[in-house]
Amino acid sequence: MGDVLLILIISAIVASAIAKIVIEKRKGNKCIGCPHSQTSGCGCGCIHSKLRTNKI
Amino acid sequence: MEHTIRTKIMTTINKRMKTYASEVVNLVKAQVNREYTVKEIKTNDDELKNFLFTLGCYEGETVTVLSVLGENYVVSVKDSRYCIDRDLAEAIIV
Amino acid sequence: MKVALTGNPNSGKTSLFNAITGKIEHVGNWAGVTIEKKEGEIKRSLSGRDTFITSVDLPGAYSMSPFTSEENITKDYIKNENPDVIINVVDASNLSRSLFFTTQLLELGIPVVVALNKSDLNKKKQTVINVVELSQKLGCPVVETVSSGNNNGMEKLISSVVAVKYKKQSSPFDSSGVNIADKREVEASDRKRFELVKNIVSEVEHRQVRSSRQTRQDAVDRVLAHKWFGVLIFAVVMWGVFSISQTYLGPLVADTFVGWIDSFRGWVDGLIGKGVSPVLSSILLDGIIGGVGAVVGFLPLIMVLFFLLALLEDCGYMARVAVVMDMFFKRVGLSGKSIIPMIIGTGCAIPGVMATRTIKNERQRRTTAMLTPFMPCGAKLPVIALFAGVFFNDSAWVGTSMYFVGIALIIVGALLVVRITGEKNAKSYFIMELPEYKFPSIKRAVMEMLSRAEAFVIKAGTVILLCNTVVQIMQTFNWKLQIVAQGAEETSILASIASPVAILLIPLGFGVWQLVAAAITGFIAKENVVGTLAVVYGITNFIDTEELALVEGATDVASVMGLSSVAALAYLMFNLFTPPCFAAIGAMNAELDNKKWLWGGIAFQLGMGYFVAFFTYQIGTLITTGALGNGLLPGLIAICAMVGYVIYLMRVRKSIPSIKIGLSG
Repeated sequence: MGDVLLILIISAIVASAIAKIVIEKRKGNKCIGCPHSQTSGCGCGCIHSKLRTNKI
Repeated sequence: MEHTIRTKIMTTINKRMKTYASEVVNLVKAQVNREYTVKEIKTNDDELKNFLFTLGCYEGETVTVLSVLGENYVVSVKDSRYCIDRDLAEAIIV
Repeated sequence: MKVALTGNPNSGKTSLFNAITGKIEHVGNWAGVTIEKKEGEIKRSLSGRDTFITSVDLPGAYSMSPFTSEENITKDYIKNENPDVIINVVDASNLSRSLFFTTQLLELGIPVVVALNKSDLNKKKQTVINVVELSQKLGCPVVETVSSGNNNGMEKLISSVVAVKYKKQSSPFDSSGVNIADKREVEASDRKRFELVKNIVSEVEHRQVRSSRQTRQDAVDRVLAHKWFGVLIFAVVMWGVFSISQTYLGPLVADTFVGWIDSFRGWVDGLIGKGVSPVLSSILLDGIIGGVGAVVGFLPLIMVLFFLLALLEDCGYMARVAVVMDMFFKRVGLSGKSIIPMIIGTGCAIPGVMATRTIKNERQRRTTAMLTPFMPCGAKLPVIALFAGVFFNDSAWVGTSMYFVGIALIIVGALLVVRITGEKNAKSYFIMELPEYKFPSIKRAVMEMLSRAEAFVIKAGTVILLCNTVVQIMQTFNWKLQIVAQGAEETSILASIASPVAILLIPLGFGVWQLVAAAITGFIAKENVVGTLAVVYGITNFIDTEELALVEGATDVASVMGLSSVAALAYLMFNLFTPPCFAAIGAMNAELDNKKWLWGGIAFQLGMGYFVAFFTYQIGTLITTGALGNGLLPGLIAICAMVGYVIYLMRVRKSIPSIKIGLSG
């Protein structure tokens, strides 16, 4: 009885983890650890710079 | 024949005088803390020229070298401070 | 109603966007640009009635030049999406440059409201701008704003926006007669535009401090960006940052935090009781809670670190670092521009690699993309912290030196690339805007820290959780799906996969299947190294190693792992300097756009990791014990093979020019 419960709990945890990953991928999140993955060349972390309008 | 030789000599003399009169000074040779007027941006890179233009660095505008940090030059253009390298400083003729 | 936000880079657009939408987008003190537009709904409190206003934060643009070779998101957006109103964010301390773009926007026929941002900086410099007159000359409302603060000007801004909605926009400058295909005409027209701007500014702005004069800031720059001092100062600063996060403040908070995790685990353990299958309870307690808990335990350290880095960046120091490093980078065929992706890489390598798009020179761009992952990223921090804590007594030198080793490897790598591809004399212009030094915004740093923390926790709860569960299962069962007996761990699935690979790594000092398994899972996410080690060794608390000894009954974690300090260092370096994670490799693939470079890059990273770990282990063991480490000879052979191949590539380049085309094309 206890075993079954455990299996259920573990499966639930694993399933929700997988679900979360799938949802993020659908939203376009490329890297899960990145706070702003909506932008493709985001400045992950606190330091960003993209002098994009000029390529030098 | 004489005429051509004379013309040739005059042209050479004129050329020499022009070179001595207007010695090319770019930002590398410029004095620190002095305002200069940009005469030309000497580069084949159009994108660079365009970019510099949008910053306000083009013929007729003023630029000042604020300090020299090793091989890099801190310049002021239109109220902003930029750090440029030697290659770029050489391309800005004042 | 659609509102578009645009303006020069670093004018404060994103800050303003955050202020009016209440979102937490990311801001930097570089002349930074948002790569893609961000949308958000303006706060109801500002827009008054029930009007739904979406605001789009567009990338910063200096102008809408028709000649830039890349697509201009701003121009396209405005042409395609037809916003109702445009908010032009203008840096008040730099009217003469900013208004160029403004006049272009005014010509579009869409109502414009100018947000005169950073007005507080002007007050400090005693620069006065006659807002009323400026508004008159431009023909549009001008609202003074200060986007970091108590919503100063925001209400007025939004109400102006709403008021201006259906109005017709006039323009002080008319360039409609200009043929955009003709460069000369455009140039001439642009010059006239600048003249107009100059006139406006001279009548409207009164400065006390002339910007073309040296100021105290320049004196500071001379020290901070000095050729040699600059590097020293940078080292000290980084050491300080690490010290606070890894040695003092971080572990202090982490201790309590980990204590909670431990209690939680104990509570669950009690809840489960003894009557259930040990396999299942182990999966839950050790695999899931234990593994994830071990990783999450490092959260406080990471948060403190990112908080400090955010402060550093916000005050404007990082731009000076780029200048300092430029000198070293120039010697290896790169420029200071390459520093930017690398600094982004200290957060996460993937956006760092993508940021290389701004580097024009193909070879430099690819080299930078390939080398950026050498900078320790956020995911590598728990690994560093773990080893610093267990083997080196939380010393801040471990972390700091890893960053410098990373930089050293980057320089070596760049040098190798230059020698192999042979292209050294391409002129590359380096230009970096030096923002004014300012007191960093604590609020911003906190927000940055929290958003990173959130991302970390999400990652831990998903990717790392799954990996740990799988690892736990793989170590519990053998291939026949029987439970592995105590003492016979080598027969587990996990061990049987990792062991063959472990043989290759014996010369590096850690040819043990547990460590190898951890390193392999590290390719999915670097934090997994910590998680897997926790699962495989049954350790859940890496922070308070003293208490751990009491709990686990082992003498200490170090001996549990069976590593000497030297071997531990080698292992750490191996994990830090090999390809980081599959996602990063994916980003490299996208940016490098060339299979030869991609495989070259991966091979280089693997080779470097091996090389560095090998020498650290062998030489370190020689120094500390007087004897050489295991597997010296095979390792040496492998190293010689690698070095030989590299030398071959360099020679080949000299004799067959076509290789150069292949590699640089």
